[in-house]
Amino acid sequence: MDGLGRILLVEDDPKDIDITLAALEEYKLANEVVVVRDGAEALDYLHVRGNYRSRAKENPAVLLLDLKLPKVDGLEVLQEMRSDERLKLIPVVVLTSSHEERDMVASYKLGVNAYVVKPVDFHEFVNAVKELGVFWAVINEPPPGSVARRN
Amino acid sequence: MSVRALRSYVLALLAIAVGLGLALAAQGLGIGTLERPLFIIAIVATVWYGGPGPGVAAVVAAALCIDYFFTPPLYSFSFERQDVVNVGVFVVFALTIGWFAARRRRVERELHRALDQLREEVAVRTRQASLLDLTHDSILVRDMNDAITYWNRGAEELLGWTAAQAVGKRARELMQTVFPCPVEEIRAELLRTGRWQGELTKTRADGTEVIVASRWSLQRDADGRPLAILDTNNDISERKRREDDVRKLNAQLERRTLELEASNKELEAFAYSASHDLRAPLRHVAAYAELLQKAASAGLDERSRRYVTNVLEAAKKMGTLIDDLLAFSRIGRAETRMTLVSLGEPLREVLREMERETVERDIAWKVEAPLPSVHGDRSMLKLVLFNLVSNAVKFTGTRSRAEIEIGCSHGASEDVVVFVRDNGVGFDMKYANKLFGVFQRLHLPEDFEGTGIGLATVQRIVARHGGRVWAEGVVDAGATFYFSVPKP
Repeated sequence: MDGLGRILLVEDDPKDIDITLAALEEYKLANEVVVVRDGAEALDYLHVRGNYRSRAKENPAVLLLDLKLPKVDGLEVLQEMRSDERLKLIPVVVLTSSHEERDMVASYKLGVNAYVVKPVDFHEFVNAVKELGVFWAVINEPPPGSVARRN
Repeated sequence: MSVRALRSYVLALLAIAVGLGLALAAQGLGIGTLERPLFIIAIVATVWYGGPGPGVAAVVAAALCIDYFFTPPLYSFSFERQDVVNVGVFVVFALTIGWFAARRRRVERELHRALDQLREEVAVRTRQASLLDLTHDSILVRDMNDAITYWNRGAEELLGWTAAQAVGKRARELMQTVFPCPVEEIRAELLRTGRWQGELTKTRADGTEVIVASRWSLQRDADGRPLAILDTNNDISERKRREDDVRKLNAQLERRTLELEASNKELEAFAYSASHDLRAPLRHVAAYAELLQKAASAGLDERSRRYVTNVLEAAKKMGTLIDDLLAFSRIGRAETRMTLVSLGEPLREVLREMERETVERDIAWKVEAPLPSVHGDRSMLKLVLFNLVSNAVKFTGTRSRAEIEIGCSHGASEDVVVFVRDNGVGFDMKYANKLFGVFQRLHLPEDFEGTGIGLATVQRIVARHGGRVWAEGVVDAGATFYFSVPKP
C-alpha cells in the first residue's frame, strides 16, 4: 500500500479496476498505477497520511477519478484538492458512468482537466483508458513535484 | 298708515261702540252697571286681533265713554276729582289686561311658527329617512351605549329583524358580532379618528352567519361630545367564500406542486442512479465477454463463439437503450430556454450532420425556404428536426433513390406546421397511434435498427412547446410526419 505511481486510480468497483488495469496493461502502464477504493483513501494518499504516511512525498502525474464513491465522493475529493496549494496542480480526469449534465458542470467548475464517460463497449473503453493513460502519464509533462517517469 | 293698521283702529272703535251699546242697553233695561267689564272684553278682543296700538286707542275710547256716559255729570267730558282716580284705575287695569293679552297673543304666534317649522323639519327628515330605506346597504345608528336608535330596511333585509324589533336593543348582543380585534381598540380608534372600518361576522335573526364590511362614523354634538355611531354594513359573505375557495384551491395547487416537485426529484434521483449504476454492470458484462472472447476464442466451438458475440451485442444494445431512455427523461426534466428560433438554422445543421452519414446514399433533398420562426428552445427543436430527418433517412434505406422533403404547411390556424415527407417504407395507418409511444416500434430490428425512443422524444418536446405531432403513411409508399408549434 505504500506504492508510488504515476497514475492514481480512484475507483470502488473491483471489476472496473480489473478492466481499467487490463486496458492499461496493453500499454504496459499497469504497474504505474496505484489504486485506492474511496475518496477518503484517495485523500489519505494525496496528503501522505494514514496508511500512506510512509510513501515518498510526490504527487501522481494524473488522477483517474470516479465520481460515485463510498464515504467521500469524487467531487468532494476534487474540491479538497483544488483548495490545497500542493495538490491543486495535479491533472484530474473524471472517469465516470454518468452522462448527467450536473455532474459534468460541477466537475468542470472544480477545474477538472477532462471528463470521460466510460463507454459500455469494451473496445471503446479500452481505447479511452489507454489514450488517457498514455496522454496524461506519458505524453503530458506533469507539474513540478510529480513522480518521475520510470524507465 | 297701512290699510291693515287702519282696519285695526276701526276695529278698536267698533269694539268699544258695541261694548257701549250693550252697556247702555243693560242700563236701560235696569240690569245694572256692566260698562266696565264690557269695555274690558272689547279692549282684550281689540288687543287680541288688532295689536297693542289699537288696544291703547280702545282704552282711551273706553275711558272717554265711561266719563261721558256713565260718570256724573252725565253727557259731558268734565268730571269730578274723585272720578279721575276711578277712571285712572280703570285705564291701568285695562292696560294691564291688554298687555297680558298682547303678550299671550305673541307667545301663541311664536308657538304656531315653531310648530310649523317643526312640521316642516319632520317632513324633510321623513323624506331623508325613507331615502335611507331605499339603499341596499344596511344602515343602523347606535348611541354611545350601543343601543340601536335607527335601523333601515337594508338592515332588516340583511339581518332579519324589523326596525321595531331592533331599535332599543344593544347592537352587539342582538347580532352576536364577532370582532377582528378587541372592541376597546376599535372604540379608541373611533374616538380618535371619528371612523373605523373592518370586517365583522354577525349572526342573523335566523341564526345563520353573515360577513359584512362595516364602516363606522362617529357623530358628535356641538361641544364635541360623542353622540352616536352610524354603521354601514355590506354583505361580503359571497366574496369571502369565493376568496376562501381561491385560497383553498391555491393551497391545493401548492400541495400538488410540492408533490410534483417531490416526484420529479425522485425521478431525477432514479435517472441519476440509472445513469451511474445500470451502466456499470453492463460495461462489465461487455468487457468480460470481450476478454473471454480474446482469451478463450481458440478453444471455443463455432456455437459458443456465437453465444459470446450475442452477449456482447445484447450488452451494447442495452447500453444504447439506457442512454436513449435517459436522454428522453432529461427532456422532461430540463429547463426550456425559450427564444425566437428560425427553424431554418437548426435544420441546416441537422442536414450537415446527415450528409456525413449518407455519403453513400442517393438522396434527393427538397427543403422549403425559408422555414418559419417559432418561439422555443433551440436545442430541443433541433432534436425534433434531427429525429424526424434521421427517421426519414433510415426508412428510405431500401430505396435506390430516396426523396425527402422538409417544408411548412401554411394554414389559417394559430400554429406553425412543419412536415418531413419521405418515400420510404411507410407504415399502416392503423398503427399510427403507436408511432409516438416510448419503445414502440413498427419494424423488426433486423430491418431497421433503433430503440423506439426517437418519435417519443419528438412528441415530448413538441408537447412542451404547446404543439402536437401526427403522421400520415401508406405501407411501402412513404410517410409524412407533422409537428405544430404556436405562432410566435
